[in-house]
This record gives sequence, structure tokens and C-alpha cells, in this order.
Amino acid sequence: MSIIGKSAGRVDTAAKATGEALFSADLTLPRMLVGKVLRSPHAHARILHVDTSRAERLPGVRAVVTGTDSTQEKWGVFRYTQDQAFLPSDKVRFIGEEVAAVAAIDEETALEALDLIRIEYEELPAVFSVEEAMRPGAPLIHDTNPGNINVNVKIDVGDVEKGFIESYYVTEGTFSAPEDSYFQAEPYAVVASFDSSGNLDIWMPNAGPHLKSKPLSNCLRMPLNKVRVRKITIGGAFGGRSEISPADVVCALLARKAGLPVKIVYTREENTVATRQAHSMIATIKTGVDREGHVIARDITCHMDGGAYSSTGPIAVSVPFLCMEQAYRMENVRYNGYRVFTNKPIRGMYRTHGRAFACGVDLQLDMIARELGIDPVEIRLRNARRQGDYTPTKSLVVSCAMTETIERAADAARWKEKWGKLPPFHGIGIGCNSVQTGFPMGIRGGSSAFIKFNEDGGATVISGVVDNGQGNENMIVQIASEELGIMPEDIQLITADTEVTPSDPGSYSMCETFVGGNAVRLAAKDAKGKLFKFAARALEAKPEDLEARGRKIFVKGEPERSIPFARAIRLALSKGESISGEGSYWPKVDPRREWVENPFGQLSETFSFGTTIIEVQVDPETGLVDVVEAWAAQDVGRAINPKVVEGQFEGGLTMGGQGGMLTEYHLWDGGRCLNPDQLDYRLPLAPDMPKINSIIVESHDPAGPYGAKEAGMSIAMSAAQAYVSAVCNAIGAPINEYPLTPDKILEAIENKNRKG
Amino acid sequence: MAKIEKIRVTLRVNGEEYPLFIAPYLTLFEALREELHLTGAKESCGRGACGSCTVLLDGRPVRSCLLLAAEAEGREVTTIEGLGRQGALHPIQEAFVSHHAIQCGFCTPGMILTAKALLDRNPDPTEEEIRAALSGNICRCTGYKKIVEAVKAASAKTAPSGAIKTAPGSGE
Repeated sequence: MSIIGKSAGRVDTAAKATGEALFSADLTLPRMLVGKVLRSPHAHARILHVDTSRAERLPGVRAVVTGTDSTQEKWGVFRYTQDQAFLPSDKVRFIGEEVAAVAAIDEETALEALDLIRIEYEELPAVFSVEEAMRPGAPLIHDTNPGNINVNVKIDVGDVEKGFIESYYVTEGTFSAPEDSYFQAEPYAVVASFDSSGNLDIWMPNAGPHLKSKPLSNCLRMPLNKVRVRKITIGGAFGGRSEISPADVVCALLARKAGLPVKIVYTREENTVATRQAHSMIATIKTGVDREGHVIARDITCHMDGGAYSSTGPIAVSVPFLCMEQAYRMENVRYNGYRVFTNKPIRGMYRTHGRAFACGVDLQLDMIARELGIDPVEIRLRNARRQGDYTPTKSLVVSCAMTETIERAADAARWKEKWGKLPPFHGIGIGCNSVQTGFPMGIRGGSSAFIKFNEDGGATVISGVVDNGQGNENMIVQIASEELGIMPEDIQLITADTEVTPSDPGSYSMCETFVGGNAVRLAAKDAKGKLFKFAARALEAKPEDLEARGRKIFVKGEPERSIPFARAIRLALSKGESISGEGSYWPKVDPRREWVENPFGQLSETFSFGTTIIEVQVDPETGLVDVVEAWAAQDVGRAINPKVVEGQFEGGLTMGGQGGMLTEYHLWDGGRCLNPDQLDYRLPLAPDMPKINSIIVESHDPAGPYGAKEAGMSIAMSAAQAYVSAVCNAIGAPINEYPLTPDKILEAIENKNRKG
Repeated sequence: MAKIEKIRVTLRVNGEEYPLFIAPYLTLFEALREELHLTGAKESCGRGACGSCTVLLDGRPVRSCLLLAAEAEGREVTTIEGLGRQGALHPIQEAFVSHHAIQCGFCTPGMILTAKALLDRNPDPTEEEIRAALSGNICRCTGYKKIVEAVKAASAKTAPSGAIKTAPGSGE
């Protein structure tokens, strides 16, 4: 391998370092208008009357749109969860929901026009928590959903009751965490423009242009090939840019009505309230183990506050459980997951989705280990998922180095020297997790790629893979250049543009390297194979005996018998053949698996596994946590670019552990979010961060491109668990409510002292 | 609403003068973006919390979203576009690229300019000093480790010869 496994600088970052890279808000088109959205001030209200006449008469206003301009086509990821109309005409269901929008010649005019729109509401009683929403007689947010239950996922494997009876020790606890948020650096922004033939060009941060274009074509009642979601630099996603946004539809409606391009740039508050947030969660977990600490039975009930609409509903309820059933062996297990509607902003998939549940599982392992006199590392090794296992919901685990991640993280952290021997209020903790590399996504589950050669030896790769900042473009370039035997700088990319790139599942379920990367590898293989036929004639060899490296095609074992790559391409052209390659990769998942009706069968072709260990010092006077050092070990299959992989570990640990478990949560006054921006929602800063040690473990997945799976998500998740484990170890008491803010830490210390 | 009268402001940005006729309430961030079409400074919070809109004013990092354009008159504004370009990167930009300090890149221009101001006044900072200097710039992707490494590497490249020129007024 000459390119895979090397940490060359990324292809996209020089443009980002100079300010040359354009994000959606940076775009300007001739005569472009400014779009602004009018939002509901009520958490739950019927819309009685809308009067836009004064706004329309204001000089400088070019278009006003309301519910009557929208098709009222409903959005939801699944056919059975389609419940959100954009610019709803019947009622509003959360504070901040879009009710009207204006396009004007400048921002001042647009804002003034918003003030002139009169909307008459009839306020309805609202619910702001899972408990309120499920109470008998609670107001219904959607008439279709009794009890405000959006989704209920039930999984029951083995014999849980028998398992508890046979258990040597059983523990039960309830763990909870409020909402947290993505805080992508880039606030949401859209630019939309129609040409006179009715083609829409639209730019926005997205985790999959093809995930956006189809629902947009539905909502706008346009043919799919007229909806052209364009390539643009994207300022972070973390699970939050996958779905169509009301802003996409509203911007397109304004542009169509005004006959001019329109740009909408969300404020930070709009990004927090009107894109997606992470679910709040209450998880009750009961775990039974044998004398040696092997888990015999687990019974879990989770309630997640989904906000006002379904969004990814069934996926959102399932993923927290699925990650843990992958990470740890459990034979008898029952899961009962509810996603409940409330009159709060809509919740989607998040990088550390379901932190309360994951932390509860690991904290219970710590408590059990203490009860049985087992080291926490040892109890995780005894329960760790192994290669060749089936998960409870029947996914074969093809490659798995969970054990190695635990052992290597523990060795690096010198766990044995530290565990139980650290001074008071000084602690060490561990967490383990596993994520998927894609879900069953029906017709959107696979990725395709094209490659065409240029006569000078370069190649153009055409792929639907999108880069949200994680380095996917570089991943494609590394794979294509390795497979073709040319240099990264010989590759030109065309990506993430629905007019030209073939379908792709999107950078959404940790699948882009595994699925999109494989498609690019296969396209390169195809193109190379065709080229080898011409090279073979010139070299008087068989095509199957040829190899390409360093811009040359040569006979295996005889590097002197070679032909430059460019010459082989020109040779083909001289014979009337312009060579291109095509590749498609469809992951081997069970298409019959369905999130609610049939949650069994291969969920994802392969999984990543990770362990994080954290060492902390807690100040018993202030309750503040000082994180001393962190060790993150993940089985990534194969590191295509080790430095990029490290960056994912470091960023994941920062978001999932440091932010997610110490400072990040939303505050509410009813349905109003009190801390929508970075002043009041505390994100980790440079001085907050401990030393992070990244440990890359490679299990070489048999199907992954060059063995690669996924980079960093198992760290983001396991980091949250390790932070809880470490802090609770430091203070010698469990904490079941997250994040671990000083008030909760001090309370836990006081309770412990009171009990003696 | 009565329209507020525009004012004349001359901005000196990246070594060039720009006479502008703008609304008095226009922020420096808006003036750079709307009048000069310099979009390297980014808006992430609009309230001075995130550092994405950082530019240098007489060599010191300022949040351009909290400063009126008129307040920058008579002073030297440096934006990311004034550092280097592809093929001729400034050593700090070079270090950010080679040390993988950039993921999504939205915070990067502000981060690099803040780092430049630090290295101009302290060519050989400790890790702690680097982290403190960057504490007003939020990055959601990287966890800061590789950013700190990049600034350290850039400082090694530029100190002690002082290849990065200190902008006037930035000395402490």
C-alpha cells in the first residue's frame, strides 16, 4: 500500500485555511433576495387566520409565503411517520415552528415585513415532558397518536424473567439526561434559485444531497431531475443535517414566487430551535449477572422526548439499544423504547444518541463489578462482544476487536496501577460502545461511483459521497488513487451534487467509508481492469498479471516491464475507446428488517467497537471536574488516514465526553429554550481539554475498503460512558442524572457522607 | 420606518483602502462580507461568543460581529484573505493543513488569525499559553488537540528568527 494507511494532508483543507472554501451563507447570486422566516410564538395553537397584505405592500418585498403556498405534503423518514407539513396551515406544535416567510431586497425590509404579518391563533394546552404528554387526558399533539406516543419499539429475546431468576445478582436503576444540541459551527443556511425552465438549484449544509432532493421534489411537486442539490462546503453535521429542513422548502417557495434567487441564513437561535436537537431520555435498566459478572438478563425501558414531529422516530428509538446490544453480549434481553411527542422542538439523530441509556449500562457494570469484587476492566472483557457472535437481534458480527480495544486502552492508561489506588476524589473510569456502518435504507442503501480517465493520466471520480468536515473527500481520493495506482493529486473530484452524482445513502449512518468508499474502490477496479487490457497488449502480458503503482502499469514481479499510465490511456483512445469505470456497493443487510415491525436480521454489514478510559480529579468543595487524561481505542477496521482517524477520536471524545457529560444541556421555560446559543450553552473550549491518547485498533474487516469500517463514533459514545464511570469512581457514589454538573456531584457527595 | 442616513467610512483592509458609503449600524463583519465580498470571516453565534468572525485590528484579534465598521476607520484590518493563498500559504495556514487541524473548516479562519496574533506577540508560547489564547474560538469538530499542535509547529517555524512580522500596534 502506498497511499492507504498514510496520513497525507487532506485535499480540502488548504481552501479552508485561506477562506477560499465557500459555505452556503457565503454564496451570492445576481439580484439575490434575503429570506426571513416568521415563527410561532406559541407551543401549541390552532392557526385561525393569516393576513399578509400589509407585508406584501411594503416596498422592497418581493414574495410572502404561508401555508397556502405549501403543498402541505408531510415529511417523516418513514411512510408511517409522515406528520410534518412545512408551513403548516392547521396548527403549530412548538415555539419556533415556521408559519410564514418573506423575501425582500435586504434584511431590514424582510424583518420589517415579518412584523407586518398578522396571524390569529387559538392557543391550545401544551405538554413539555414525557410525563405530561403520557398522562391520561393530556392534550393530543397529533390526533393520530393516542397518548402522544410516536413510536414504540419492542424487542424481546430469550427468556428475561428466567434469566433474572437464575442471576446471582440483580441491579436496577433509572438514568436520565435532558436535551443536548449539535452546535455545528455553521448555522443553517439555504440558497435557492429557479431558472425559467423550472429547474431548482439549491445549496445547503447536508449530510446527503440525495437524502434532500427526493423529499424536496415531493414537497415542491417537481420531477426529481429538476431538483439539483448542489455541492457546497459544510460546517459540521454530527447527525443533524440529514433530513429535509423547512428552510429548504420555504427558500424554494420564496424563490419560485419571487422569480429571483433567495438566501436564508439562520441565526444561531434558529439553528438550535428550528433544525434538530438531541432527545432527552429516561432509561430504566435492570441487569442480572452470574457470580463471575457475565450478564444473564437485561430489561430496559426507555422514554425519549421526540418533540413535536416524528423526524427519524423509529431509528431514534432503536439506535441506543442497538449500539449496546452490539457492544456487550446479552442473551436474554427485553427492550421497550418509546418516542413521545411534546410541544418542543423536533429531535433527531445525534452523535452520542441516547447518552443516559449508554451511561446507565456501563455504570451498572461498575456497580456490579464492585459488588462481586471484580475489576471494571475485567467485567467488560467478560461481557465484550466477540467476532463471529450474533447480536440478540440477529446481526452477525463479522469483524470485532472489542477485547483488544479494552486491553490496549487499559494498558495505555496503566489501569492496573491506578484502579483502587488513586487518592481521594481522584478517579478512573471506562466505557465501551459500538456503532453501525449503515442501516437498512431501502433503495437509498447503496452507493455508486464513476471514474473517467483523462489523456494525461489523471482521473475524475464522480460520487454522491458528501463531506461534512470529517474528511470523506480525502477518503475517496486515497481509495481511488491507491486502487488506480496513481497519485492523490492526479484525482479530480465531483461529489455530492444530485444533478451529476449517482445515488448515495449520505454521511448519516457512519456508512460513507464502508459503502461509498467501497463503491469508489469498485469503480476504480473496473476502470483499471479495462485499461489493463490495452496495457497487456503493449507489454505482451496477460491483464491478470498486471499491477499499477506510481503512475505506471507493470508486470507483477517485473517492474522493468512497464508502461506509463498516461500512455495506456492514450493507447486505448487511439483504438477508439475512452475508458471509464463504474462501481456500486450495496451493503449486505437484511432487507426484511424493519425498525418497528421486524427488528431482526442483519442490521449493518459490519460494526465498529470502541473503548474510552478517563482519569479525573473532582474538587469536593466546588463539584468541578478536572479531566486529567483520556485514552481512546477503537476498532476502525483499517485506518485509511491515521491522522484523520485520530481527529475523529479527539473530536468525538470532546463532544460526547467533555461537553456531553460535563456541561451540555438545554434549559427550558415550558416550550421555550433558554440557552439556544454559545453564550449560555457551554461547549468545550481549548483550555478545558485533557491530553487525549488515540489508540487505533485494526481488525481488517473482510468487506470494508482495504478493511476499513468507521472512524470515531464508538469513541464519541464510549467517552460519555467513561466520563460518568470516572467521576462516580472519584466520588465513590453513583450519579444517575446527566450531565455531571457541579450541583449533582456535590449532592452525590453529600448523600454519600450522610449515609456514611 | 424612516431610513437612517448612510455615512462615509474608509476601511483599510489587507493593505488596501476601501471608501464605503454604508449604514452607520453596519458591523465590520457585515461590511467585509457585503461591501468587500470578503467571506472568510464566518458568523456562528453573532453574539461574540464563538470567535468565528475574528479578524485582526491593528494586529489584535477582534470579533468583527461586535464592532461597527465605522469603529475600524483609520485602523489596519487583516482578514484571512490577507494571509496566504493556496500555493503560497502563510506558515500558520501551512501548519493547520499539515497537522490536520482543520475538519469542517468553519472556525478555521478565526482560529488562524487568533493564532497569528498570539505568535506575533509571543513567538514561542507554551501549550498552556496557546490554549488560553484560543479559548475564545470554539471548534466543534477537532477537540483542539491538532489545532494546538499546529500552532506549536508554526511557532517553531517562525521563532526565533521572527519570520512573521509583527503588525504595528500589536506589541505589548
